[in-house]
Amino acid sequence: MTNKRPPMVPVKNSAWPSPAALAMATLVVIGVFAFSWLNPGYRALSFAVTTGVTAIVLYGMAIPFGQAGIMSLGYAGLMGFGAYTAAILSRDFGLNMWEAMPFSALVAALCAGLFGLPSLRISGHHFAITTYVMCELLRIALINGGKFTGAASGLDLPPMGTVLGVKLDKLSNAYMLVAGFMFISMLAAYCVANSRYGRTLRSIRENEQLSRSIGVNTNMYKVGAFMLSGLFAGVGGDLQAYNFRHISPDLYGGATSLYFALMVMLGGPRTAFGPLAGAIIVTFLPEVMRIDPIDSRIAYGLALIAVVMLIPGGVIAAVGRSYQWVMRTLRGPHANAGSADPRSARV
Amino acid sequence: MATLEITGLRKTFGGVVALAGVDVTIRSEEILGVIGPNGSGKTTLFNTVCGVYRPTGGTIHWNGVDIAGKPAYLIGRLGLGRTFQQAMSFPSLTVRENVQIAIEHGSRREDGAGPRWSSPEELLEFVGLEAFAGEVTSVMPFGNLRRLGIAVALGARPAQLLLDEPAAGLNEGESVQLVHLLRRAHELGVGICIIDHHVGLMAELCARLVVLHFGNKIADGPVEEVLNDPKVIEVYLGGEE
Repeated sequence: MTNKRPPMVPVKNSAWPSPAALAMATLVVIGVFAFSWLNPGYRALSFAVTTGVTAIVLYGMAIPFGQAGIMSLGYAGLMGFGAYTAAILSRDFGLNMWEAMPFSALVAALCAGLFGLPSLRISGHHFAITTYVMCELLRIALINGGKFTGAASGLDLPPMGTVLGVKLDKLSNAYMLVAGFMFISMLAAYCVANSRYGRTLRSIRENEQLSRSIGVNTNMYKVGAFMLSGLFAGVGGDLQAYNFRHISPDLYGGATSLYFALMVMLGGPRTAFGPLAGAIIVTFLPEVMRIDPIDSRIAYGLALIAVVMLIPGGVIAAVGRSYQWVMRTLRGPHANAGSADPRSARV
Repeated sequence: MATLEITGLRKTFGGVVALAGVDVTIRSEEILGVIGPNGSGKTTLFNTVCGVYRPTGGTIHWNGVDIAGKPAYLIGRLGLGRTFQQAMSFPSLTVRENVQIAIEHGSRREDGAGPRWSSPEELLEFVGLEAFAGEVTSVMPFGNLRRLGIAVALGARPAQLLLDEPAAGLNEGESVQLVHLLRRAHELGVGICIIDHHVGLMAELCARLVVLHFGNKIADGPVEEVLNDPKVIEVYLGGEE
């Protein structure tokens, strides 16, 4: 075989992000933690906590959606499993937020595995609708759960308490805690995407038949991806329950799941900052800018159409591509810096 | 040496009989060709062996292990690799990532069968795609895509490779390169079983030919003998009126 020519694009062998991406990540980390020191006010900080909790769930959702290409509309339900597990363990066994967290994560992961089972038989929008229905069924079950689930009025929880002497009931401290969990989720999702497991999920997304032929048990990987994402949803549910101190079935219906899907698609499921950007765009900005809810819903619809048609990788992927284009233009026509594979951009 | 023993293999789709009791023994020390007109059951044979279809009847033994009806991934892990009639890859991943995924899964096998690749670059150099490592496969020329399919299959360390029309769509130069590549893969100890319509290529590459017609095996033997078999000539050229 003598079909040789210079590589068109440098091969990126390392999972390590580029210096530019690392600089960007550092800026984001500093910016997020510095936000609470800027005295943004109770309302903005409160929405920032909610945004952080949402982003944790979205980082989990980005694993099956971004890597394996399977869109589920059941993540509000999975978050609900985590939240209700925390609330019930608190009420019946006196467990605090930290003690309940592993159970919330475990229950949500197991339920995520169950939610993911239909993906072995159906795909695409059929699977998305199935998970949406499962989410709605959960909401109905919670409403009809009597004293066990608190029925339609839901359940109350105690305050977050303290950790290492720091009072988490103070909103700025709760914000720091949620921001910490959010960055851990971001890092975990990045590590998964750049691992052998992440590559295998991408192979399933790209060509399931070929993937099977090289020995990949695609069913196990798909259900595994859902269970992994369920861990994120469970932790998010636990934090949300203790942040709100009251949970009810309406928080975990299909409509919330649709918003989660919207956020992931807007931000971009295959980039490190995509889920965070999606959560900020949909959860945080409209509230702090006091945009009318009806107007914001119309804007979401238009934005989703624009993203799907113009920037299918999401806002952050588009920003990354624009940055690479600018750098190439500045360096001249022969420079081919950047990712070897923009379309398979990793979390 | 590994042996794939197919006995009385039947596969029907409703009332259509795709395989009507085929007996073939494939040994990894030889390069075997499977030929036959369109619709004769060649691809169905591969798909049934590789777990895409569940056989209607008959047995398939791979090194003495019954693999009939086993899931495709398990058959892949046992060392039976394959390529597909349509050139397949993981399209939005790079060439390097394509083979890396295969190597990562092949390296888990501990049975010692099949060539072991130390890196994706080694395998890409073997198939002649090292210069394309960073390219996304969806924009690759067809000939390179065919070779990538073989590279992905080889990455999973197969003891036996089933190739479904690997020369389809290739020009003459690419076909010559393909023959060279398959011979070198065979020298590494990988058994080659190949389906193709290109009789010249099959005659050059294979030591033995099997001919299928309407799901039945009508000939099996050395290339010269099979190509001069009156039944085979009749199938390909038509019988006398």
